[in-house]
Amino acid sequence: MKPVSTQPETEAVLITHEDIDRAHDRLRVLSARGGRGFFSNARLLWLLIGPGVLVMLGENDGPSMLSYAATGAKFGIGFFIPFVILTFCMAIVVQEMTVRLGAATHRGHAELIFERFGPFWGWFSLIDLGIGNFLTLITEFIAVRAGLGYFGISPWLAILIALAILYAALMTHRYWTWERITLTAALFNLIFIPVALMTHPHWHAVARSIITAKPLPLFNSETLLILLADIGATVTPWMLFFQQSATVDKGLTIKDIRFGRADTVIGAALASAAAVATILATAPLFAHQMSAGNFEAAQFAQALEPVIGRFGASLFALGMVEAGIVAAITISTSSAYAFGEVAHKPHSLNLPIGQGKSFYGVLTLCAAAAAAIVLIPGLPLVYVVLIVNVVAVLAMPPALVFLYMLVNDKEIMGNLVSPLWANVFSTGVVLLLTAAGVLFGISVIAPNVFAIIGGK
Amino acid sequence: MRDRESSAVEQESSDYEKSVVLSALEHDQLVKARKRFFPRRQLKGAEFGILWALRIYVILMMFVVAYQVWIAAR
Repeated sequence: MKPVSTQPETEAVLITHEDIDRAHDRLRVLSARGGRGFFSNARLLWLLIGPGVLVMLGENDGPSMLSYAATGAKFGIGFFIPFVILTFCMAIVVQEMTVRLGAATHRGHAELIFERFGPFWGWFSLIDLGIGNFLTLITEFIAVRAGLGYFGISPWLAILIALAILYAALMTHRYWTWERITLTAALFNLIFIPVALMTHPHWHAVARSIITAKPLPLFNSETLLILLADIGATVTPWMLFFQQSATVDKGLTIKDIRFGRADTVIGAALASAAAVATILATAPLFAHQMSAGNFEAAQFAQALEPVIGRFGASLFALGMVEAGIVAAITISTSSAYAFGEVAHKPHSLNLPIGQGKSFYGVLTLCAAAAAAIVLIPGLPLVYVVLIVNVVAVLAMPPALVFLYMLVNDKEIMGNLVSPLWANVFSTGVVLLLTAAGVLFGISVIAPNVFAIIGGK
Repeated sequence: MRDRESSAVEQESSDYEKSVVLSALEHDQLVKARKRFFPRRQLKGAEFGILWALRIYVILMMFVVAYQVWIAAR
C-alpha cells in the first residue's frame, strides 16, 4: 500500500527557488544511486548523512554534557555508563520513526500533528516545544559563556561569537552547505574522547560496568534527578521535530530510509561515545571525593586541571562551547521549522533571505532572545540549567504518543507503519518516561519517601 | 488571498530548471504540493483519553517543576 498523495498529478507545476536547490542536491543522490559496489554506497551515505548525526550530536548540548559531567563526578564509573548507552539505543528507535515519517509524507512533524489531529492538539505540542526549546537555548548560551569564560573571554564577547557562528552558517541560504558546516562543528563534540584518555581510565572497571551495570547507585532523589537528566540528555521533543523537518528539507524519499537509519545509528554511536567519554573524564573527581554539586562548565574544567593539566582542561571547556553552539544552531532551527510549518510560511534552509523572512526571523529572534537573557546580570540562571533536562523528559511522553500515532497511521504511512517490536518498545519508553516523571514529582513533593523505601 | 511571502516564492523558472526539478524530486516534494493538507484524522475514545491524560500529566508536572525551582530559590 502506497501512502496517500495530497496532490493531483494533473495540476500545473509551479517551481520555486527551494525546489531548484533541493533538486540539485537530489540529482547527486540519484547519480550515486545509479552506481554499484562499496564506493557508490559510501558516496550515497556521505550524501544522505546529516539529520541523524546532527540531531544526536546536537542533543549532546550544554546541559547534556553538564549532566554527564555531573554523573561522572558524583557516581564515577558504574551503572550510568551502560545506562547512558541504553538511552542512546532508545533514541535510535524513536528517531528512526521520524526518518520514516519525513520520507513517506514529505511533511514536518508540527505540520503533520496540526493536519492529522487539528489545531487544538497541535498548539499543545507546539507550546511544549516552544517552552522547552527556549529554556534549552538559554542553557546553550550559558554553556558557551561558561566555556569561553574559562579562557578569560567576557560574557558579551562569548555570546557574540556564538551568534556570529550561528548566523554565518545561516548566511549560506543552502541546506546542504548549512548541514556540512554544522556537521563539521558537531564533530568537535568528540573532543571529550581525548580528554577522557588523558585521565587514564581504568578500562577493566569500564568493561565491568558495561557488562554488569555495577556498582549500582543508591536509590534516592539525587540519583533520580541524575537519571532524569541523563534521559533528558538523549531524548527530547525538539529532536523529533528537528529530524523530521530536516529529513524533509534535505529531500529524503522512501528509497533513502535505509541510509536515514544508518545516519541515525552513526549519530547515536558518535554521541554516546562523547557522552561516555565525558563521564570518564569527570570520574576522577568522584575518585578524589571532590564535591561537584553545583559545578558549571568552567568549574568542571578548573576542577579537572590538577588531573589532566591546563591543556586537557582547555579541551574540556572548548567541548562545552562546541556543545552549546551546535545545539543553539539545531534547536533554533527546529523552532523556525515548526513555526513555518504551522503558520504555512516558507520554511527551508534553501530559502534566500527575501523569501524566507519569517523562517529566518523566528530563528534569529529565538537565538537572540535566549542570548540576551544570559547577559542580564543577576538572573538565577542556575535553576534553568537544573530543570531543563527534567522539563524535556516530562514533555516527552505526549510528544512520543503523537509520534506513535502518526507512524502507525496507514493513511499517511502505507506499508511503512511501525513493526510490532518498535510499537512495543515505544510504548515501553512512554511508560518508563511517565513513571520517571511521576517518581520525580513524588521526590519533590514528599522527599522523605525514598528514605522509607530504602534510599538515603 | 495569497500572502506576499508565498507569492514571492513562486518565480519564473527556465525549462531547464523545471526539467531538473521534475526529474529529481517526487511530485509530493514540490513546495506547491506540500501546501495541500492531509485530511483530519478521527480520534477514537481511547486515543482521546490517552492524549488528555498525558496533557493533564504535563501540566501537573510543570507545577511540580515550578515548585522545585521555588524551593531551590529559597
